[in-house]
Amino acid sequence: MTYDPIRLEIFKHLFSAIAEEMGTVLRKASYSPNIKERRDFSCALFDAQEQMIAQAAHIPVHLGSMPLSVRAAVEHFAGNFNPGDVVVLNDPFRGGTHLPDITMVSPVFLATHSRKKGSRQVIGFVASRAHHADVGGMTPGSMPVGREIFQEGLIIPPVKLVKAGTLDQDLLDLILSNVRTPLERRGDLSAQIAANQRGADRLMEMVTRYGLEEVTGAEQQLLAYTERMTRHLIESMPDGEYRFTDYLDDDGVNALPVPITAAVTIRGDSARVDFTGSAPQQAGSVNAVYAITLSAVSYVFRCLLDLDVPNNAGCLVPIEIIAPQGTVVNALSPAPVAGGNVETSQRIVDVLLGALAQACPGRVPAASQGTMNNVTIGGQVSISGKGGPGGSQPFAYYETIGGGMGARPDSDGPSAVHSHMTNTLNTPIEALEYAYPLRILRYEIRKGSGGEGKFCGGDGIIRDIQVLTGCQVTILSDRRKIPPYGLDGGKPGRIGENLLIRKGQEIPLPGKGNVELLPGDVLSIRTPGGGGYGVKST
Amino acid sequence: MTALRIGIDIGGTFTDFVIHDPASQQIQTFKLLSTPGDPAAAVLQGLKKIFAEKGTQHATIIHGSTVATNALLERKGAQVALITTRGFRDVLQIGRQNRPSLYDLSAIPAPALIPADLRFEVDERVTPSGEVSQVLDPDQVAALIPVLKARKIPAVAVCLLFSFLHPEHEQAIATELLAAGFLVSLSSEILPEYREYERTSTTVVNAYVSPVLDNYLSHLEQGLHPQTRLRVMQSNGGNISPGEARKFGVRCILSGPAGGVVGCEFVGRNALIGEETKSTAKNKGRTSVNSVDSMLRLITFDMGGTSTDVSLIDGKPQITTEAVISGCPIHIPLLDIHTIGAGGGSIAHVDAGGALRVGPESAGADPGPACYGRGDLPTVTDANLVLGRLSAQHFLGGQMPLDVSHSLAVLSRLGEELHLSAGQAALGIVAVANAHMERALRVISVERGHDPRRFTLLSFGGAGGLHAADLSRGLGIPHVLVPPMASTLSAFGMLAADVIKDYTRTIMLPGSTPIPNLSALLETLARRGYNEILAENIPPNRIRLERFLDIRYRGQSYELIVPFSEDVYNDFHRYHERQYGYANITASVEVVNLRVRAIGQGTPPALQPRPFKGPRPDAALIGSRSVIFSGGSLETPFFRAELLEPGNCLEGPAVVVRSDTTILMGPSDRGKVDEFGNLFIEVGA
Repeated sequence: MTYDPIRLEIFKHLFSAIAEEMGTVLRKASYSPNIKERRDFSCALFDAQEQMIAQAAHIPVHLGSMPLSVRAAVEHFAGNFNPGDVVVLNDPFRGGTHLPDITMVSPVFLATHSRKKGSRQVIGFVASRAHHADVGGMTPGSMPVGREIFQEGLIIPPVKLVKAGTLDQDLLDLILSNVRTPLERRGDLSAQIAANQRGADRLMEMVTRYGLEEVTGAEQQLLAYTERMTRHLIESMPDGEYRFTDYLDDDGVNALPVPITAAVTIRGDSARVDFTGSAPQQAGSVNAVYAITLSAVSYVFRCLLDLDVPNNAGCLVPIEIIAPQGTVVNALSPAPVAGGNVETSQRIVDVLLGALAQACPGRVPAASQGTMNNVTIGGQVSISGKGGPGGSQPFAYYETIGGGMGARPDSDGPSAVHSHMTNTLNTPIEALEYAYPLRILRYEIRKGSGGEGKFCGGDGIIRDIQVLTGCQVTILSDRRKIPPYGLDGGKPGRIGENLLIRKGQEIPLPGKGNVELLPGDVLSIRTPGGGGYGVKST
Repeated sequence: MTALRIGIDIGGTFTDFVIHDPASQQIQTFKLLSTPGDPAAAVLQGLKKIFAEKGTQHATIIHGSTVATNALLERKGAQVALITTRGFRDVLQIGRQNRPSLYDLSAIPAPALIPADLRFEVDERVTPSGEVSQVLDPDQVAALIPVLKARKIPAVAVCLLFSFLHPEHEQAIATELLAAGFLVSLSSEILPEYREYERTSTTVVNAYVSPVLDNYLSHLEQGLHPQTRLRVMQSNGGNISPGEARKFGVRCILSGPAGGVVGCEFVGRNALIGEETKSTAKNKGRTSVNSVDSMLRLITFDMGGTSTDVSLIDGKPQITTEAVISGCPIHIPLLDIHTIGAGGGSIAHVDAGGALRVGPESAGADPGPACYGRGDLPTVTDANLVLGRLSAQHFLGGQMPLDVSHSLAVLSRLGEELHLSAGQAALGIVAVANAHMERALRVISVERGHDPRRFTLLSFGGAGGLHAADLSRGLGIPHVLVPPMASTLSAFGMLAADVIKDYTRTIMLPGSTPIPNLSALLETLARRGYNEILAENIPPNRIRLERFLDIRYRGQSYELIVPFSEDVYNDFHRYHERQYGYANITASVEVVNLRVRAIGQGTPPALQPRPFKGPRPDAALIGSRSVIFSGGSLETPFFRAELLEPGNCLEGPAVVVRSDTTILMGPSDRGKVDEFGNLFIEVGA
């Protein structure tokens, strides 16, 4: 197919509109605040060869990892799909990232109405991924500080939840029996199926309107376009090897820092990213599976590209990634991985940006807060007085908290925002107080926590949460010991703090851990500031 | 003597006037250049002209003002302070803690409308069940007054947690502030709904723009005769008295575009629905898409120089309660108008990866498209000119001849970069611009569960006529309607608008709540609405009350607005099924908000039909020349719209030239002029 600059631009819009529309359906039809209010989900479109063609701009950590989900589904079923199938999975070692992220993959057929087997042709895939507020395991919220994956929740290998348009009720019952909040899960899973259905319908409509040849031709051109843009970017950096090492505070089990090292080698218009030298996989849950490392690499290069270059598989073509197996950036089963997705992913970005700051100085900001400050609170909520029959039911509230962004070469870092691998929204205070036995006592900017410099890092956040009943709390956070770095002489941001305030007394809590709260206790999460940039003039 | 009715819409370039004389049923329109430094100047100048001509100042003016919009967009509102519950003064700045652009490491977030040193806290607390767990400390409020006075703050926004359940704390603060002479916006009055950030933002925008609107309206009223009454258009499609507008400026943020949508609804109803009740003999062969159930289904398409507004009418204009304008969430009901930065002036260029891009940069009015002769940037307008679709000598009624050679030169240069001819490059620009607009049309239709194949595209605005038929073809929209007052439709819509007031309140009750209880709760809002519409001098027989509930499945955090009825719970399941593809009949539901819309029916002008003439449009033919279509060049007749008569039929390809817009019909399109002068196009394959 010949190169056509006009078709390219038109199809760029068409494909991304499908992914965006899937996201709208998922957000509006889902149940849980985590998906609706916080928008912790992504939707993407793939060609018949499982190459990602478009992803709606939702959550970066899903960027590189969705393609592996599609690949796992295709490999498992050896391409044995029927129209109306929906594959569900969350196994981090088979296409997933961490267990709460449940992914659904739907093959899209040219002729769903045709009963003739021979006429069935897979023309692509659509996929949706959502972070579910609970998938079982040892603590509510399924983000525990565990020792092996089996403690983290229900593991779902690639299986068909919908077979040729018919929901497998037995399988759904099995899943729902293993989670703490089955009604909410059922609603969210239904919403994901609805989103996939919408995406599949739109892709079929597109093929009907333009013809298969034209659509696949456009897909190949879009992949080539993003690859070309990425090569331009790499070419603009001087050849050489750029190394950087940064650390996670600890793995939540042992108190030692966990090093992550990258050597980025630029040669002409291609790059190699080598993580050799990073720590072996850990006893605690900071282990990242390969999909996450892939996402972090995609994200960093994507940020350096022009803003409207489409997100697709082309971005990774010129980049070779070496992530030795059995390390914290490519963990193997049965390592616990809950925190790899949310914490280690952020540190991998810090390491890559630290290396690239040497390759393209003046374009890379200082370190951002480098953590997602995951808090899960679970317990029993009384349902009497809500029109129900009385008694209580379990609840699981999950939140991540923003912090300071790193200062940029020409401006201060923004305060109180999510940075890098996540962009989830907060749960409105009034929404969560309606839903859970919790009171927010304070939600404010943590003044002075950004690192000083010619340009200052952004400030973190203070969120004080009071529990009204006894609750189990899990915290997965980092940058509580080792602060986000400054660049070019800028000072590091201030480290975060987790405190338990019991009867007026402040008790420090670890960066990662489980804790039992009594009614009236206050959990105070104070998130890190971003690093500063340049030397502050006196 | 009956008062004149005058619709006035202030745009960036022109201020439009539409005058309706109820005595003669005559409608006149004219335009004056806008006076951005003092927008009232053009308004008063136009009114002077009208009053001199008519010999009376007895008139009602319905005014769409961009004053509130511009104050927000340009961040030129009043200096405002904020008072919140202790611990939450940063909610306004933190927002939802997300960043607007995922991959932009250098993005600078828009600063909060109120800086940190003007955000204050007081001790008080209300629980989710509406009980006071900490009583408001009046001393703390009193202590703030001298601080605010010293800072010379004119307006204060107050937003306390759960104030919609227990407004007394906010009201007590208001009493103190009002006594001290401040303008006050209370969140429990502006938007009594849960979600503190969105409520705070909406309330703060109100405090921020209302004083500016107040100044402007005072200035305008000073120039008006006592017999001249003023009304202000709101973003919800209705109008209100200036007194209300001054207090609730946030309701007037999209007042101009709202006029456009109401104008479309009125014109569409006349052309498509009114039709059904009349004799069909005079226009046989017309297939109305709406003939099946006489429901008005329009997609409105307003393409201008720098941006394009689209919206959807499914029986009535669609409403959104989650608008974000200039980075500020505004959650009061607004007409759901989706705006994109693509228009006739959008600039085409080739990017580093070799793709042809159009916009978002625009050449604006200055330097304008290359054909204006002042710049050398290729735009969508230049592409249309090179394709022969625009008539160089008839642009803007011939007041501004276009320079084709300039357009050709810049497009040839762009074509060289792409290894294409100037004509191919021009076709490419139009196709890419259409892709942008198609995406916008998809957002408001398919994404929200509406099938465009059941709608008519109503095109207005200067640049839309050239793209409407092609866009419709792409989306399967069967018909295009272009009204005769394409460029003054917003001002016209203001004449057609009702008086509308919206009321909401979060109640958060279980779905087991008996219907009569809900009905009683709605009644309190409805009664208030009725009385307030009555106070706007609307007779009781023209007052209509619409009742809705915002319902969701228990555990969901997103509501659907469902019209209230005895069967409202079942209707909710049906709505959910239609919108999201599934319903969960056995799950329990939750009633989140009460919602009442009080409507005082307006007195829109009656459009005067003209007699039908024969099908041949020959009298309007002004020439013929070669036009480039995607399939190749075709000799194409050009017609003057003003000379077309009702009943005239047009076979594509054809170009219809109006003084303010140009309409392109493709080779397979067929058009017909109706008795109101609307051009109705059946879109071909």
